[in-house]
Amino acid sequence: MTMTTTDLVPAPADQPQVTVLTDRCAGCQECVIRCPAGALSMDSARWVAVADSDLCVGCRQCVRTCPFSAITVEGPMAVAERTEPVATEPPARSTSEIRPGFASWDEALTEANRCLSCPDPTCVRGCPAHNDIPSFIKAIREGDLGKAHEVLRNTTVMPDVCSRVCDQSAQCEGSCTWSLAGGMPVSIGKLERFVADNAPVPPPAAAVPDDPAGELSVAVVGSGPAGIGAAWRLIEAGASVTVYERDETPGGLIDWGIPDFTLPKSVAHRPWDQLTAAGVDLRCGVDVTPGDVDHLLSTHDAVILANGAPVPIRPPVPGADLDGVTDATSFLKDGKAALRDAGALDLFRAAYGLSVADLGAIEQLDPAAPQVLVLGAGNTAMDVARTARRLGLRAVCVDWVAEQFAIARPDELAEARHEGIEVRFLRTLARLDGSDGRVQRATLTLTRQDRGDKRPEPLSGQTETVQADLVVMAMGYRNDAAFAPVLPGTPRRREAPSGTPDRRWLASGILANPGPEFAHHKPVGKLAMGREVGLRAAMLPYQDRVWAAGDSVVGPSTVVEAMTQGKLAAAAVIGARPSRARRANPTRVLIAYESRSGRTAEAAQIIARGLRPTGAVVRAVPLGQVDISDLSETDLLVLGTWVEGMVVTKVAPAKATQKWLASLPRLAGLRTAVFCTYGVSPKGALDTVRSQLAERGVEILTQDAFGPRKWDIEVGAAKFGARLIELAWTR
Amino acid sequence: MPASISPAQAGRDQTDTPPVATLQAHDPVPITLQLRPPHRSGIEERFAPSDPQRTWDLTRNPRIARLLKDRRLQFMLILPNQIIFWTVILVGLVGTAIPGLNFGTAITWYVWFCLVFVLMVVVGRAWCVMCPFGGFGEWIQRRTFWRRTQKALGLGLKFPEPLARFGFLLPVGTFLLLTWIEEFFNIAGPGTPSDTSWMVVGIVSSALLFFLVFERRTFCRYLCPLTSLIGSVGSMGSVAGFRTKDRDVCLSCQTKDCMRGGEEGFGCPWYTWPGSADSNLYCGLCTECYKSCPSDNIGLYLQKPLTSVVQPTRRRADVAWAIALLWGLVLYQQLNALGWYATMDNWLNTHMAFPHYPNPVAYLGMIFAIAGITAGLAWLVSRAFGRKNLTFVSSGRFLDKQSQFRAFFLPIAYGMIPVVGADYFARQLPKFFQHAPRVATAVQHMVGAGGTTASTLYKVRLLSDPRIIGVQVGVIAAGTLAALWSTWKISKRELVPVSRGSVAVRAAAMTIVLAAGVLAAVLYVMMNAAD
Ligand code: SF4
Ligand code: SF4
Ligand code: SF4
Ligand code: SF4
Ligand code: SF4
Repeated sequence: MTMTTTDLVPAPADQPQVTVLTDRCAGCQECVIRCPAGALSMDSARWVAVADSDLCVGCRQCVRTCPFSAITVEGPMAVAERTEPVATEPPARSTSEIRPGFASWDEALTEANRCLSCPDPTCVRGCPAHNDIPSFIKAIREGDLGKAHEVLRNTTVMPDVCSRVCDQSAQCEGSCTWSLAGGMPVSIGKLERFVADNAPVPPPAAAVPDDPAGELSVAVVGSGPAGIGAAWRLIEAGASVTVYERDETPGGLIDWGIPDFTLPKSVAHRPWDQLTAAGVDLRCGVDVTPGDVDHLLSTHDAVILANGAPVPIRPPVPGADLDGVTDATSFLKDGKAALRDAGALDLFRAAYGLSVADLGAIEQLDPAAPQVLVLGAGNTAMDVARTARRLGLRAVCVDWVAEQFAIARPDELAEARHEGIEVRFLRTLARLDGSDGRVQRATLTLTRQDRGDKRPEPLSGQTETVQADLVVMAMGYRNDAAFAPVLPGTPRRREAPSGTPDRRWLASGILANPGPEFAHHKPVGKLAMGREVGLRAAMLPYQDRVWAAGDSVVGPSTVVEAMTQGKLAAAAVIGARPSRARRANPTRVLIAYESRSGRTAEAAQIIARGLRPTGAVVRAVPLGQVDISDLSETDLLVLGTWVEGMVVTKVAPAKATQKWLASLPRLAGLRTAVFCTYGVSPKGALDTVRSQLAERGVEILTQDAFGPRKWDIEVGAAKFGARLIELAWTR
Repeated sequence: MPASISPAQAGRDQTDTPPVATLQAHDPVPITLQLRPPHRSGIEERFAPSDPQRTWDLTRNPRIARLLKDRRLQFMLILPNQIIFWTVILVGLVGTAIPGLNFGTAITWYVWFCLVFVLMVVVGRAWCVMCPFGGFGEWIQRRTFWRRTQKALGLGLKFPEPLARFGFLLPVGTFLLLTWIEEFFNIAGPGTPSDTSWMVVGIVSSALLFFLVFERRTFCRYLCPLTSLIGSVGSMGSVAGFRTKDRDVCLSCQTKDCMRGGEEGFGCPWYTWPGSADSNLYCGLCTECYKSCPSDNIGLYLQKPLTSVVQPTRRRADVAWAIALLWGLVLYQQLNALGWYATMDNWLNTHMAFPHYPNPVAYLGMIFAIAGITAGLAWLVSRAFGRKNLTFVSSGRFLDKQSQFRAFFLPIAYGMIPVVGADYFARQLPKFFQHAPRVATAVQHMVGAGGTTASTLYKVRLLSDPRIIGVQVGVIAAGTLAALWSTWKISKRELVPVSRGSVAVRAAAMTIVLAAGVLAAVLYVMMNAAD
């Protein structure tokens, strides 16, 4: 027994107080290894955690990560106030950037110092790109913006864009430990922007000469964020990249969809300026149809479809075909141009038949100005309304959800309202009326919504009318149905898989606060885990040599997600090194096995030893440890299982194997071999496995069952390996 | 905190050992985790004494392994008990009023307690695996009989820290309360069968309430009247429980599925981490951790008898006090058979206008007095032999405080466990020997196949006085020997380092234990004489 223990000298009142419940503390150290302040350590003799409240900053990460709820923290969070840069109140119509960044190093450093450099940073999980936030903030603290860029470029190619357009409250900042603890998170977005604004974003790194990826020729369809991410990663690896863009200018949504007052033109153009300078072959005005994919495959080694979800959703209401009803894409494109130059302004006036005010002439909103009805109150709708406002139009947005479940960035919503835009929630469009074929009025039905996961219900008979001189549909987009056969299973729902949440996420504590106040009670942890589904979906091919990324995979998402998926798809292509000329020999073999008695494991090892002389990297991994990212790094999959059922009549592959198979994504064209070990008889077990795999689009090379004696298994496995070499490797 | 000082300076910037990065390869996001390296120093000394032998792992047998992985196992163990206990409730309420013929009373008081006891001494918390009270609550809390479900029913609150910090003392309290109620209504007497039913209903419903309000097995850990007895006496058992196979794997495990719940199993319902368990005290043998560990790093270990009494490095004050109080209770139950006790109880009742035996003041007074005397003796030993130059950190909460008294009392109390256990067992023996065969009659009676107070089985006694006393004294003697051996071992490791003189302090500690054994044995003889 040691003679030391928790020292309970009461901490000052403004200091957080940590208490370890020693009855229940099992000494697992989950809290100790994660405490950012080093306030927790172990009492070796009793093997319980001990806390030093003097060091504690009150972030409550320990509380969130203790599996046995054996630790409590009371008292305030010891952190400085969040630095909010003061906006130099712009005129509501200002077309230059209106959100301020940190104006000085002082401001940035003060904010950087609020970051705890958490050992298990939840902000990183919350960031869809998984930027190493603590490290780049640390670099800022050290005054080294170059280093900050070095950190950021590992995961993002658009820190300047993302820091401006991301909804940080639902991503990194919403999952910052301070936010999870109920406080104000580190201003991660503004710090990222500070880096990008004060030191130029480095261009794509020059490829390493003789990188084997240099022989690759890849077609990327679409030049939006996903295309940018993919092209960037590929050109850095030395591949030759051709990007096909249907519009006349590159950038997709960041080119036409985000107004200049949110994303200045120079920032929006920066990625493509750098990409083309780095040698990406950009071909604008080329519309790639699903039928063209085969042609692309014959001229390139791989195709990455990053063509987005371009089809605007139009509600089927009476009057939707009246003049003066348009979609957000056209309005934003034309509006953006109109705000940039007077010539375009005249065109805009003519095209929309509206008496748009002369730019620069209006300071006050004219109460008699035409009114634009924006359907939707998401971020696109806000952009539409605010663009309209800058053109001297009045704007009213309507959305059928309740305000607390709105998807718009909360700050954006507040800004829009501040600019005089009316936003009405809980209303849905019932009818549009007009005269002479031109829209004039809209009838709205009131709705009700009590829960975020339930659709709002229209309240029959409760209606209102609004003046609508122009109607803009900004209710979102959907995927182009024509591409569905090329991309089976898309759009993928970004929902965390049901069942036990990933324990690594659980352990980080990001799921412990189901809806932090700063995130407007959005379930940041769940949202982040859902995004992983999309990221992983981008790593696996949909057809032989066809990958996809961005909105074309998951439906409308965000710039940062699309960019990350693009990078991941590109990385998968670089790893797989497909070739249009001939099929390459497998270089990455994964033997995934399920074993109970150890016999299947042994067979797996024998096969692994047999395959190694081919020079391929062969890994034998228990099924439970195989992750989708492992599959994305595999050219040849060997699946081994054992046969369950003592009774000969009820024989099936082991349950865990069946479960695993059921959870597999599409593995188009993946070369696969299957084996099982058995005690009595394999019966139809192999066929069960085979048919499940076939549904995933794999190519089965061979299958075999070994048993019942140990000797049979050894001989069978060795022969199986030899046969596999003959089938999968060409000399 | 001034804005210019970043707390991070104490964080990742200043780790002197390189951060562990093992997770990166497996984490679904390639993030830069910079977890602090887990504390490992002293771990060998801390756990070596109580770690079971690697070869004594039952899961090395593939059949046992398969059985333990089966999610239905615990259900199958609970089910028979569940049936029996609902029968007890039902038969107690609607069946015959003759206690010896009523299945509920007969099985509960003649057989069940003895069986539970034997299970405790041999296995540990074997009863907890199959317990119908906890089992029932858990089925409802988990919304399933055996599947691994994700959403729990109920509020899932954490047991409040101000209560939880007293550990075993709460369940000792409920045990004292239950025993008092049982004596007051003469339930175990056995009195009216329906009283037994109501008692069981009471336990089941409070269990259910706890399972619905709090998370996991809060009831079992903090309230169940049996848990302190099973836990402490069970530490004599030869099953170490589920423990880590390789502690290093556990230390670097960054998911802790066994604690949080994994794909195939729930997180430990008992708040036990196989990675740090040093006794079988809090392992309910439910097999959940075994099912959930993704690294297959858990085994079910056997150990030599008394290991969990002798070897744990960490002595818990709540357990020590619980043992003292349990000792008080069992001695009370012996003393109250003596003539002078009845006189005193009557006198108190008359003066307090309390209806009848057992007078709560006398009851609690004697129990606390005996516990106090036991502690007092330990205190005397500490004064007589304690080294003067040691300092103890006396601040902290109940479980964390240290003192010279505790340095002696805790090990001595642990050493007494076998005596206390033996005494509880011995007290149940007469009922078992005299009436156990009545269970068969009661079953006959229940199913309407005859069975009356006139049946031969009803009157058969497996053993009668004075042989029973002989067995009782024998049991006590065995318990005392076990306690002496334990105390001998414990005192060498724990008392000698804090004492002046080594032989004397060990002798003193053993004298206390011996005295306890002799007292219990003598009392059995006297009780019989008083009859
Ligand atoms: S609240 Fe934060 S700083 Fe304090 S002990 Fe817990 S983890 Fe460490
Ligand atoms: S996480 Fe909880 S159980 Fe583990 S050491 Fe910390 S307080 Fe103890
Ligand atoms: S930004 Fe927040 S969560 Fe991320 S490392 Fe800093 S304090 Fe921790
Ligand atoms: S028993 Fe398994 S899950 Fe639990 S800590 Fe050890 S290795 Fe991890
Ligand atoms: S989960 Fe494991 S350690 Fe916990 S009670 Fe069950 S068997 Fe024991």
